[in-house]
Amino acid sequence: MSTIMLVDDSATILLSISNILTKAGYSVEKASNAADGLAKFKSGVKVDLLITDLNMPGMNGIEFIKAVRSLPNYKFMPILFLTTESQQIKRQEAKAAGASGWLVKPATADELLATIKLVIR
Amino acid sequence: MPNLGPPLPSSPRGEATNQLAALEPDTVRLATYFALKPETIMDEVLSVFSIEAREQLEAMESGLMQLEQGDRDPETINAVFRAAHTIKGGAGVVEIHSVEQFTHILENVLDRLRNGQIEVGGEMISALLRGCDHIGALLTLVLSGEHEPSEQLKQAGAAIAEELRPFLGGPAPAGSGSGGNKLAEAEEGGGDIERGDRERATYDCWHISIRFGRDVLKMGMEPLSYLRYLLNLGEIAHLTTLTDALPEAEQMDPECCYLGFEISFRSHATKAEIEKVFAFCRDDCELRILPPNSKLADFLQLMDALPEETMRLGEILVRSGALTPEELDAGLKIQSREPDAGQLGDILVQQDALQPELVEAAVAKQKSVSEKKAAESNLIRVHADKLDQLIDLVGELVIAGASANLLAKKSGEGTLVEATSVLSRLVESIRDSALQLRMVQIGETFNRFHRVARDVSKELGKEIELVITGAETELDKSVVERIGDPLLHLVRNAMDHGIESAAARAAAGKPVKGRVELNAYHDSGSIVIEVGDDGGGLNVERIQAKALEKGIIQPGQILSEEEIVNLIFAAGFSTVDKVTNLSGRGVGMDVVRKNIAALRGSVEVTTAAGEGSRFTIRLPLTLAIIDGFLTGVGKSSYVIPLDMVVECIELSNTSVDRDYLNLRGEVLPFVRLRELFEVPGSRPPRENAVVVQYAGKKAGIVVDQLMGEFQTVIKPLGALFRNMRGIGGSTILGSGEVALILDIQALVSRCARAEELLSHGNTGSRRLEMH
Repeated sequence: MSTIMLVDDSATILLSISNILTKAGYSVEKASNAADGLAKFKSGVKVDLLITDLNMPGMNGIEFIKAVRSLPNYKFMPILFLTTESQQIKRQEAKAAGASGWLVKPATADELLATIKLVIR
Repeated sequence: MPNLGPPLPSSPRGEATNQLAALEPDTVRLATYFALKPETIMDEVLSVFSIEAREQLEAMESGLMQLEQGDRDPETINAVFRAAHTIKGGAGVVEIHSVEQFTHILENVLDRLRNGQIEVGGEMISALLRGCDHIGALLTLVLSGEHEPSEQLKQAGAAIAEELRPFLGGPAPAGSGSGGNKLAEAEEGGGDIERGDRERATYDCWHISIRFGRDVLKMGMEPLSYLRYLLNLGEIAHLTTLTDALPEAEQMDPECCYLGFEISFRSHATKAEIEKVFAFCRDDCELRILPPNSKLADFLQLMDALPEETMRLGEILVRSGALTPEELDAGLKIQSREPDAGQLGDILVQQDALQPELVEAAVAKQKSVSEKKAAESNLIRVHADKLDQLIDLVGELVIAGASANLLAKKSGEGTLVEATSVLSRLVESIRDSALQLRMVQIGETFNRFHRVARDVSKELGKEIELVITGAETELDKSVVERIGDPLLHLVRNAMDHGIESAAARAAAGKPVKGRVELNAYHDSGSIVIEVGDDGGGLNVERIQAKALEKGIIQPGQILSEEEIVNLIFAAGFSTVDKVTNLSGRGVGMDVVRKNIAALRGSVEVTTAAGEGSRFTIRLPLTLAIIDGFLTGVGKSSYVIPLDMVVECIELSNTSVDRDYLNLRGEVLPFVRLRELFEVPGSRPPRENAVVVQYAGKKAGIVVDQLMGEFQTVIKPLGALFRNMRGIGGSTILGSGEVALILDIQALVSRCARAEELLSHGNTGSRRLEMH
């Protein structure tokens, strides 16, 4: 079973996405901010995919992605970030930071799962 | 691994929501969106698909009928093909594989038809039409929650596929050298339909050429993931992995990706959809996608543009079927002959002038897209539930308005009364507009019967013409949906039993071609639908004999001819001794009547020997809100649908000993609600009779007071009272009290019956019957 780490400051989004993921058979690790997420990574949890919001209080998503990517264990882990149709510039920035791809909000459960299926091994 | 469908970028809803996302604060949007359960979302997609598929099926059917009638317009063929294609695509997205696979067969036949590889023929059209029916059956099944079609349905599908087989394996297009062999191979494949498809030359595949960026692995992606994901959209027919870019082992960075792929990809996806697969790596890789049947020049340009050597690429493209060896040779020869001519691609682009038919096809495609857009822009698709909700709310508004009106009147304040009356006028307009939203033309339902007429005439060997009038007549959507089956039964019945055989018609001096008419029109708040035929008419004696035999009527009972023929609607009546395939589907006329009665409607039949019969269905225009006429008996209130009220007269105190009165010389039977419903209290000195009319019959309804017009929101009766005759529903008055809506149809027929019984010296029970 693949494990997905979900990082977002919105509890609603954490819950709704993790509901979809759990239902689809993934195990989900949740963190409500980048620092918590990073701490979990540093503790060495097994994560197959990271999904993170970009706009979070404290450490923002871009810094977070850079930090995770620089950890030796997660060098090749797929990282998806949540974005909207209009945030093209942010996309470049996030990809430069090491993200694999993005999830456009709003997404249906199907779109979400299809994208996850693309990036996860 | 769960089988997840491809993303849904092409679903109309998906696009719409993406557009919306740009307008709304995205967090809110996402939250509401994700809060939906996946099943709910899937249900929504499914329901969109089912609506679309039904529409496309209808389009297919009507197109096929046109083809059968000699229409050879390529656009007609194209339209049928497109419809099949859309159904298949949609079924793929919502993962209804039974529909997807079966439609694929039809699509292939239509594709060949479209390309002129086969000719339109009667048998083919019949088989295709049966195919449409089968798709319809599969849809019904799947949408009812079944995942796998029954064994029987599978067999039916296989039989149709078998019928279509001869149209799949026509001669291969000229010019393909190995065509003969391929055909032979396809035929050897036995019942395997897919096989025929596989044998189509690979150059009708997309050609995808991709060189991954060095850093793709470091971004957490893997080339294989993209290929796997690509399989969601179609089938990889051929794939060559290019390792040309791999450096020597000692220089190789194991964390870098040096691979490239040349892929022949068979799919009905659009270029955008294929591109979307590679969205995450597009900026960092070299990606080129050539559509199926691309010109030679495009492939040569591709070869020139890619990093590998032309020779090597040429070889790969030939192997994957994108180029023929001859084409490649020709290009290379020119290049070697004229070294100054530049890149291989350039040479062939110049040599290979644009083919006129390609331009034509492009223009046609553009046109069809713009036409479709124009038609769509006039319509908004709204979920029926939303309309129902609106109408419910309008109903509440009407009730609340009535209550405000009442209070205003009580208060006696002139300005307030005026304000509320303006308000109620507006509410009335809103009510009408809202109800109008649910009105649909009956034509769509009627048009289905062309197909029925065609099939039935073929099956019976009768020549029958179906004439439709009044197709633009509108009625409530919920009524339209439920009238289809009873109508179908009546039409089949008219064709099977109504219209005589050709020989009998000729003998009677009638035209050989029988005629069945479908007609609709509005008549005093009802919609009337008629199904008429010019056949032999109903056999009155036989019906009477049958009714006697079945105990529906008693010996000695005297009935008018009209009453006798209407006995065919009685439960347990069926004159057909031999059950035919057509009308003997286990549904008798009594079921037809029951279905129509459930819509608060009625059905009756008139007949003339030798000239035919006519079934007349009367239905209320709407099932939601009506204009009512409020009356009172004692403390109870009753609503009579205003459309049925003819006039009101005052009854003087003179005792009326029989239940009829003299209305300007006319006998008017009446019913006293006080007695009928056993309202306590005694008659007031002055009573009023409301004269109502239904289906040409008049009757009086005697009440204590007349209270005037009243907008009536129809609330259904509870289960306990649903079978009560004489009451059709209930409503809530402004004061909050409940008023009962009278079922005028039942009351009028009761009066008419009482009148009959009276004239035969037999007194009928006045009590309402409960069953």
